[in-house]
Amino acid sequence: MRLQYILAKFIEIAVIFFVILTMLFFLFRLSPGDPISKVVDPMLTPEDMAHMISQMGLDKPLWEQYVIYLKNFVTGNFGVSFHYGEPVSRIIGERLGWTILLFTTATFLAALAGVWLGKVAAWNKGKRMDNVMSISALVCYTLFIPWFALLLLWIMGFKVGLFPLGGVLSPELWVGDSSTLVKLLDLIHHMVLPLLTLFIINLGSYLLLMRSSMLSVLKEDYIITARAKGLSEKVIRDKHAAKNAALPVITSVGLSLAFSINGGALTEQIFTWPGIGRELIFAVSNNDYPLAQACFLLIALVVLVANLIVDLLYAWLDPRITY
Amino acid sequence: MRSNIRKRVCRSLKQTELITRFALTAVVIVLASALFLSCQKTKEDRFLKIGLPEEPRSLNLWLGTDANSRKILTQIYQPLYNRHPETLEIIPWLAADDPIIDETALTYTIKLRKAKWSDGTDFTSDDVLFTKQVIFDFQIPRYYSKWKIIEKVEAPDAQTVVFHLKKPSAIFMSRVMNAPIISRKQWESVTREALTKEKPLRSLQDHVVENPVGTGPFTLAEYKKGAYIHMKKNPHFFGTGLTIGGHLLGPYVNDILFRVYGTSDVAILALKKGDIDYYWWDIQPGYISDLKEQDNVDLYFNKKSALYYLGFNLRKPPFNDVALRRAIATVVDKEFILSRILQNYGTAMHSIIPSGNHFWHNPNVETYSHGKSKEERMTSAVKILRDAGYSWETPPLTPDGKLTVPSDILLPDGTQMDKFVILTPPADYDPKRAFAGTMIQEWLRELGLPAFSRPMAFNSLLDTVKGKHEFDAFVLGYGKLNLDPDYLRAFFYSKNDKPRGWNMSGYSNPKFDQIADMQRVLVDTEERKKLILEMQRMILDDVPYLPLYNPHIIEAALNENFRGWVAKVDGIGNIWSMCVVKPVE
Amino acid sequence: MLNNHYVQRFVKGWRIFIKNPVGKAGIGILTVFMIMALASFCLPLFGPMYDPMTGIDPNIKISTPPSLTHWLGTDNVGRDIFAQLLEGAKVAFIVGLSSAFFSIVLGTVIGMVSGYAGGWVDAILMRTADIIMVMPSLVILLILASLFGQFNIWLIVFIIAIMRWPAVSRVIRSQTLSLKTRPFIEASRVAGASSVRIIFRHIMPNVLPLAFLYMTFRVTAAILVEAALSFLGFGDPSQVSWGMMLQWVWKSGHMFQAPYWLIPPGISISLLTLAFYMLGRAMDEVLDPRLRKEGQS
Repeated sequence: MRLQYILAKFIEIAVIFFVILTMLFFLFRLSPGDPISKVVDPMLTPEDMAHMISQMGLDKPLWEQYVIYLKNFVTGNFGVSFHYGEPVSRIIGERLGWTILLFTTATFLAALAGVWLGKVAAWNKGKRMDNVMSISALVCYTLFIPWFALLLLWIMGFKVGLFPLGGVLSPELWVGDSSTLVKLLDLIHHMVLPLLTLFIINLGSYLLLMRSSMLSVLKEDYIITARAKGLSEKVIRDKHAAKNAALPVITSVGLSLAFSINGGALTEQIFTWPGIGRELIFAVSNNDYPLAQACFLLIALVVLVANLIVDLLYAWLDPRITY
Repeated sequence: MRSNIRKRVCRSLKQTELITRFALTAVVIVLASALFLSCQKTKEDRFLKIGLPEEPRSLNLWLGTDANSRKILTQIYQPLYNRHPETLEIIPWLAADDPIIDETALTYTIKLRKAKWSDGTDFTSDDVLFTKQVIFDFQIPRYYSKWKIIEKVEAPDAQTVVFHLKKPSAIFMSRVMNAPIISRKQWESVTREALTKEKPLRSLQDHVVENPVGTGPFTLAEYKKGAYIHMKKNPHFFGTGLTIGGHLLGPYVNDILFRVYGTSDVAILALKKGDIDYYWWDIQPGYISDLKEQDNVDLYFNKKSALYYLGFNLRKPPFNDVALRRAIATVVDKEFILSRILQNYGTAMHSIIPSGNHFWHNPNVETYSHGKSKEERMTSAVKILRDAGYSWETPPLTPDGKLTVPSDILLPDGTQMDKFVILTPPADYDPKRAFAGTMIQEWLRELGLPAFSRPMAFNSLLDTVKGKHEFDAFVLGYGKLNLDPDYLRAFFYSKNDKPRGWNMSGYSNPKFDQIADMQRVLVDTEERKKLILEMQRMILDDVPYLPLYNPHIIEAALNENFRGWVAKVDGIGNIWSMCVVKPVE
Repeated sequence: MLNNHYVQRFVKGWRIFIKNPVGKAGIGILTVFMIMALASFCLPLFGPMYDPMTGIDPNIKISTPPSLTHWLGTDNVGRDIFAQLLEGAKVAFIVGLSSAFFSIVLGTVIGMVSGYAGGWVDAILMRTADIIMVMPSLVILLILASLFGQFNIWLIVFIIAIMRWPAVSRVIRSQTLSLKTRPFIEASRVAGASSVRIIFRHIMPNVLPLAFLYMTFRVTAAILVEAALSFLGFGDPSQVSWGMMLQWVWKSGHMFQAPYWLIPPGISISLLTLAFYMLGRAMDEVLDPRLRKEGQS
């Protein structure tokens, strides 16, 4: 039964993925302009441009391009970026590392703090502590990210001057012969502000999620049973309720990691973090089809797989769900 | 009951204590490392640190043709001739002297300097031959169309090259001799392999250059993607110790570090903080008042070789009527745009060639609105339109010359004019052009014209205007025009009126075409100048483009660590600055 | 349809709602912004200088700090920032409410149909929802921006609605699934009611409160998306909005020099979304909290 379920899920994902693949191809090809239409340089003659277009293989009929695209995809060849002239896989590899470093750290820290604070808030429902926490969480959640990030950069990076103004490292330290420890510290030093931004924003949503999940768990029968058994409040709160209430948070962590590729673009841009989100927006505005397509597919794949894992995880964690 | 409460209080106290302790430790660690690192930084500050607005595209010079790659690559690859920073004359660079020109045999004989590539091998005439070969074999965009004029290149000896031309060319020195020369040693195997591929040019461009070899003042030391580019002084640079273009060349700087800032606000904060010595990008006038108060920051205002203009579609009504175009030229208040949008950091433009390019600029073209008051502008515009047969039920001017709100204008045949759209780039791409579009719309409405200004994503805008020709009018610009005025021909030559061609307006004038062809083959610059001035006069008479403004390039550099930037047209970010900027003692 | 039962339910809900401090605070903030939005209609009374888009103070050529004539100062072309802020409130309400409304209508109808019909209709609709949910919405919006050339405000509203219905439809679908098995639906089907009638007469009233709750969350999402789009420069440039104001202060280089220009729109965006969110949370307490499956959008 379970195997069948997993198999069905896989087929479903494959179909969705194919539809996205096709949609992406046509979406890019039908949008006006091409990789060189943005170049305003009178030195480029129309002949030069036609030459460049044909060298990129964009002069072929659309269906032929589509077949090549599918073939390349199946053989795992994502092509060469029009813009950078480097293999797409290499560019994505480089950028993805930075994104993962920043976002996993931020998400995990925020989830840990969110679960803990959400638990406390739910436990003290209706009291002042709960109200203060809920409202501050709401404020965190509705902050306008770029605005907040810029203010943070201005105050902490410039006015107070304790933190660097973006980037991932200080070149002058890395060029010289600094020790690894200094380099590591330098990296952490650069991560603080973007991390803080992402942490604050994520914290709000995790806290609220944990709080409401905890509240609904507390009404479940097994909590009442546990109470009747005379277990201590602490055990009930931490062992019985919080453990189950954390489930939706886990789901949300999985999904938000996948979406960080997309949603992190603004934060990455402001802190000049060389991540994948920034690159994707850049690739789209440059009509760099191979790079943009590959980024999109990556996001789609990660989200789909994350969804699948979350589904399976649920089935495994929550004994009430059977398939 | 009471013990229970006490327990709870105790627990929450314990929790609070735990959080506080944890938080305090974290904060202390972060602060300590921050302090530690900021101390570290002040120790070794002899790097020239430059901020860039975007990551360079590629260090392969055939692909890296964008502004940011060129900032790196022009330190490495050098042309035979360069422009003098002040006089803008073409002066020998990799070449040892001015060419010896034989006008009857159509040859240019050029002596080369004794120079070395950064890997220590000799730079010879063979490298020039090889460069020509590559440009021809791959039909390199931008260069091939100009180099086509070359019949053949010969190398009588290692220090001499002779260019044989097919016909006389006015642009040989300015547009052919500005190509960077590459090393045969580095590129030969790459090009040979690329030529065997299905897409030769693309394979050449996709070749990853880890270590570019050039003859320029700097070489690449390390490129850490997404973080920085480190360049070192080239010990073999041919110019070291020479005085070229009135400057004793160094370079006097041992290391340059380039790094990217995602937004210019942050880059300017970095400059004020002293993280970078120079931000290599045009800054918005909004920063000026703030930066002027900073003692450690110098501001530089330079003219730009740029053109921002309102273009019309001459292929269809309503703008196929020259009277309407002239009337519009009359009501557009360039001085207002200059003061409001450019905050007076720039000049109003009256001819197609910017006034900064003083040799070729024609100051005596028809200027339409210049120096007129609002009423005077309106009066002459109304007169131009009336003479051409246009009419209003309520004209913009009352009989006693006062301005009123007019009714919609009527065409000479008595029908209403269709609504037309002025396309502009979106505000994020260029707020100046977007605002200019809105203002022009308001002025045209005061004349009863049904004008609508519409910003459009830049890709789509170019596709619509340049590719499809489906538009009424547009506001566009060229940020970096070549100093040679041959682009006049490119913009208005009737044969360039085709998809992707540069004649976006669809201007067609046989007389203009004839002069444009003539000036191209005139090697005598004074003779050529007469024709160029005449071409400008013709364009401003027919107004397919209405030049609007030319902003100054505003740049900021820190003066604490390095000084001696060379200001020229298009700013202080140029090869001359890099060769002469000195550390402050 | 509005029989006594629903009125009673509403009154009862309102009583619980208004006791909730979060809800009260939300209503309070919302009222302030509504007054601001209404005040924007009075701007023409003060003359053309106070037109948020085209009004230019003839005496001012640079951005100036707050003064008596310009309460929040002016931007770099001499337009009044307070007037823009009021206009921005109006636009935020329009964008937020209308796109939330469209996405809720879409999501509710699709969710009900999908849940009620089941089978291949359900499969197709839900897979479509999956595909849209997988797509990174901000980037898709950017591609669409280049496809359409430039957005106008209604296009933005429309696209936000299109991108945001799937989450709603999932919740409505599962609600419909559980309603479908209830006896009263069974009864009306036996009585010969058509599917359309069942969906709109019997199922819809029962899922509406939930849909309405989701709407408040969608409003916040829509306002934030519009602001982010405008901030990035893909908004409607002929329309003043808070995101647009931030884009202007950013692009004109006044970000860190004109706090009187930077702070108000940013705070307004956060406060208004906060207000709608508080409203939603308070409503959430009124309805059964267990109904909520999804935390945030």
